Amino acid sequence: MDTLDTLLMAFISIVLINNLVLTKFLGICPYLGVSGRIDMAFGMGMAVTFVVTLSGTMTWMIDHWILMPMNLEVTRYVCFILVIAGAVQLVEMYIRKFFPSLYESFGIFLPLITTNCAILGLCLFVNLWGIDNLPEAAVLSFGAGIGFTMAICIMAGIRENLNMADVPRCLKGAPITLITAGLLTLAFMGFAGMIK
Amino acid sequence: MILADIFELWNSAWPAGLIMLGLGIGFAVVLLIASIKLKVEVDPKVEQIHKALPNIDCGACGFAGCSSYAKAVAEKPSLIGLCAPGGAQTAAKIANILNLQISDSGPTKRPIVHCRAHTNDKTFYAKYQGIPTCISANALVNVQACKFGCLGFGDCVSACKFDALHIIDGLAVVDYKKCTGCAACSKACPRNLIEMVPFAYENMMTVACSSKENGKTTRSICKVGCIGCGLCAKQTDIFTIEDNLARLDYGKYKPTEQTETALNKCPTGVIVYRGKSAPAAKHPALKKQPPD
Repeated sequence: MDTLDTLLMAFISIVLINNLVLTKFLGICPYLGVSGRIDMAFGMGMAVTFVVTLSGTMTWMIDHWILMPMNLEVTRYVCFILVIAGAVQLVEMYIRKFFPSLYESFGIFLPLITTNCAILGLCLFVNLWGIDNLPEAAVLSFGAGIGFTMAICIMAGIRENLNMADVPRCLKGAPITLITAGLLTLAFMGFAGMIK
Repeated sequence: MILADIFELWNSAWPAGLIMLGLGIGFAVVLLIASIKLKVEVDPKVEQIHKALPNIDCGACGFAGCSSYAKAVAEKPSLIGLCAPGGAQTAAKIANILNLQISDSGPTKRPIVHCRAHTNDKTFYAKYQGIPTCISANALVNVQACKFGCLGFGDCVSACKFDALHIIDGLAVVDYKKCTGCAACSKACPRNLIEMVPFAYENMMTVACSSKENGKTTRSICKVGCIGCGLCAKQTDIFTIEDNLARLDYGKYKPTEQTETALNKCPTGVIVYRGKSAPAAKHPALKKQPPD
């Protein structure tokens, strides 16, 4: 029961309170780049969720079972990037096979998940926060992906409606998007301190 | 001393290298299995066609982008020639890849804006302060006196991916040096002012007006509109008057003396040249002033 409590807390904390996009400002590139339409944003969120779950769990295993016993923490970054790149390749092949239209609409953003700093960030945060059991690391990784999906979908929904709004000429395009992102972040700051 | 340092470096480096190598091989095996299991068969012709296309994803062909057009054209060769930016060259390349012969598709098409009224030439009953797009302004009946003329909010400009259209003093003007003929502007214009015209010559003559009002009304609301007087049609039969509006048969157009006379005789100066090196139109108001 206690473990379940911890896992639930970890999940809520990574989705709402320590949301990678909205409070740690990681993964801003796809957050602004693919948030034009809500269906594409959701697809992107799902792809990132898959990659981050896989790589977060695997990096924890590699970190704890190979690198730490052998005192090779220096190679952490290289190993993590290797895992992420491999996972992205896997996702790309999978999406190309089963969702060709989604693959077309992603274009360059799909391979760019490799360089999505939210994913490497999460892998490093799991280490930084001293998570020492596998289930918690897995839940955190999955939660980070869900948090990203939520943030990008909220953004896409706002931007779809923003297209119809009468935006001042000097703020059209990128400026209003960045202002929106800032306001969204401010709103999510309200969650800070909810869980100790 | 140095040798010892090197040895120490080597001793601490090799396990790291070995682990990286091991991990690399592990992932390589996983990806290899995945690539065999999840292999997608792609027609080599589709890839070749995709390479032959301009890859600007303009959407002129009616497909989402160059890659989807490549796929469609490989299956249905009758779609050859839809690529406007690529033109005849690309069509020939695609035909070559598909082992087909194509007939000459005619001259490349370029847009012509059938209006030449700048803000000063137009008449307004009131000031429009709504959403600044043509499509919403067009919903309002009396947004400007002329029901047919260019609204000047630039829906065509935002549709153009090549920066080849600009609103100059309330009128959309095509920059033919940048235009690729993708017809996006022609689809964007809510008043259907922009016609895709086959440019048999570098510069084409055209009647830059769409007003179907009678001559008196047109004259009262626009300084440069076509009044349907028929002077041009008397000069040469390539001009016809229909609904108080002169029209030019672009298929029959040839730069001759008659067309030149028709251009000079036009009382409102609405017959103009459009194209890469088109001479600037003489404004009727400027004509009357003595040259200095």
